[in-house]
Amino acid sequence: MSRPLLLEARDLVRIYRSRRGLTGAVTEVRAVDEVSLKLRAGETLGIVGESGSGKSTLGRMLLGLDPAQGGTVLFEGMPLPRFGTPIWRRLRSRMQMVWQDPLSALDRRLTVAAQIREPLDIHRIGTPEERPARTASLMTAVGLRADQGGRYPHELSGGQRQRVVIARALATNPALLVCDEPVSALDVSIQAQVVNLLRDLQGQKGLGMVFISHDLKVVRNLADRVAVMYLGRIVEEGPAEQIFAEPRHPYTQALVSSIPVPGRPLDARILLQGEPPNPAARPPGCAFHPRCPLAQGLCRTRVPALRVPEPGRAVACHVTAGAQSPVAA
Amino acid sequence: MDRLVEIRDLRVAFDGVPVLHGIDLDVAPGEALGLVGESGCGKSVTWLAALGLLPAKARVTGSVRLGAGELVGAPREALETVRGKRIAMIFQDPSSALNPVIRVGRQICEALRLHRDLRGAAAKAEAIRLMEMVGIPDAPRRFDLYTHEFSGGQCQRLMIAMALAGRPDLLIADEPTTALDATIQAQILELLARLRRETGMATVFISHDLGAVAQICERVCVMYAGRIVEAGPVERLFAHPRHPYTRGLFDAIPQMTGPRRRLVPIPGTVPDPRALPPGCAFAPRCTRAHDACSRARPDLLAQPDGRTLACAYPVPEARADSFSMERAMT
Repeated sequence: MSRPLLLEARDLVRIYRSRRGLTGAVTEVRAVDEVSLKLRAGETLGIVGESGSGKSTLGRMLLGLDPAQGGTVLFEGMPLPRFGTPIWRRLRSRMQMVWQDPLSALDRRLTVAAQIREPLDIHRIGTPEERPARTASLMTAVGLRADQGGRYPHELSGGQRQRVVIARALATNPALLVCDEPVSALDVSIQAQVVNLLRDLQGQKGLGMVFISHDLKVVRNLADRVAVMYLGRIVEEGPAEQIFAEPRHPYTQALVSSIPVPGRPLDARILLQGEPPNPAARPPGCAFHPRCPLAQGLCRTRVPALRVPEPGRAVACHVTAGAQSPVAA
Repeated sequence: MDRLVEIRDLRVAFDGVPVLHGIDLDVAPGEALGLVGESGCGKSVTWLAALGLLPAKARVTGSVRLGAGELVGAPREALETVRGKRIAMIFQDPSSALNPVIRVGRQICEALRLHRDLRGAAAKAEAIRLMEMVGIPDAPRRFDLYTHEFSGGQCQRLMIAMALAGRPDLLIADEPTTALDATIQAQILELLARLRRETGMATVFISHDLGAVAQICERVCVMYAGRIVEAGPVERLFAHPRHPYTRGLFDAIPQMTGPRRRLVPIPGTVPDPRALPPGCAFAPRCTRAHDACSRARPDLLAQPDGRTLACAYPVPEARADSFSMERAMT
């Protein structure tokens, strides 16, 4: 844990306001609710959760793409500048994002080489004469052939397109890469190719990575630490191995046991009742209590604090975290 | 074997490009069959073709027999007595399969009227019973809601309720849990398994998720580039995959236990149906391929252990044993 802190989020809050119909009352959705996290250089933090848990919003907030209503993001110790300002733009070369759907992240009228080169032009990296060589080496680094540079996105397969997106994200030599469901749209055999590529990048570049996914199997394979989100809050955090081997929060336990594993019978799972509640109608107390098999009286009234039952782990649960455990800073 | 559906040499071509190259497949009454493969392998097209649901530009040949009736080339009226009534189908994205401007109760009642001639109060009572059966809480009150007032998981439950309206002998579930969250996926799988136990209808489960297939199916067919490459009982086939493609699919899945290791992807990509490689379509991506594989295509042949396999150089049994040992240890 001696590596320098790359990214820190403190008490981030993102509220979306929506109105039902034209005259309806405005309801507030706390998409991200007082989330704090730390990422060290070279480390990969997995963020898992179901749809509506706020994990994608959080990812965008970490890059300043979505403004926070509360809390701060520190990048290399400095507060993140406001979205769209010249300093923010300059900083963006150090932090990049990979999206779920590569086809919509790419410009279909530009060749892939042109798109990989674009960030070099924008951020004036190297001389214009050097850029084609740098583009070619980026393509090789992600496993594309240099002769594929003249192709258009529709001429490539899904996995190849995602490689283009990753090459483009790496062009500026970023210190931070936020990946939002980067392999979810890909077939299993291709998924493995992209996961391996991301693993190689972890080793080579000392790149800090935030890996957002609903696929626990992929996260387990890539992340050093994992944060589990439920309705906008982190409910459990810790080293990936431990989270998956001995989950402490009842929601994490259900999530881990819901993964279909060949050979394990259906009835060996913890089957949760109900569905994730609407974020606009968050239950009082612990948001998970209506589905929780362990819920007690306290869970219905008071939001559990994120506690530290053992060093390196944090759990927000009245029942399993231990009331004596210190509250996470 | 007693057969509910018998598919023989089913072929489909879109604009002259063949995408399904002769499928032979039987479904026994009450059986749970899994169809596995990557996008474009033809697993959905097989059943869309069987039910006459493909666009007019698709050319379908071969035979799909349901009892005494032939479905391929059958007139629309004949197909309409089959679709929804004898064979029902549910899809990946339930919210786009339901009508957003008609109350869900009415949509289920419509299916009941078409398939069982139930009307009025009788239809409503039966619709509410079906909604309760698939696990919609507070069904009588929610009968009059619209689809946008239900979550994705509940919309899939409503689709299943509608599919059950005709009391089908066979339910085709095409990636029914792919668009759903993990905890909801588990609920829907459990629901499908329970409904099969309670109603005795056969289920064909189309999925790319080998884990999900393992949990609810008895038999599985692995498809690649429009052909079945391996088929057999789930336990045997998943414990000892013998086709290099089946084996490759397993190796590509990250494990939930044991040490983290590099994944073993299948190199390359699925071939373009317009430019299929000669011989075995998997040969260019196959680590076991010999020269002969790109000259002659192996036939799907019955094996002594009860599976069928289309491979000239399959994963040997012995190595399959060590593979399962290694699997048991991790």
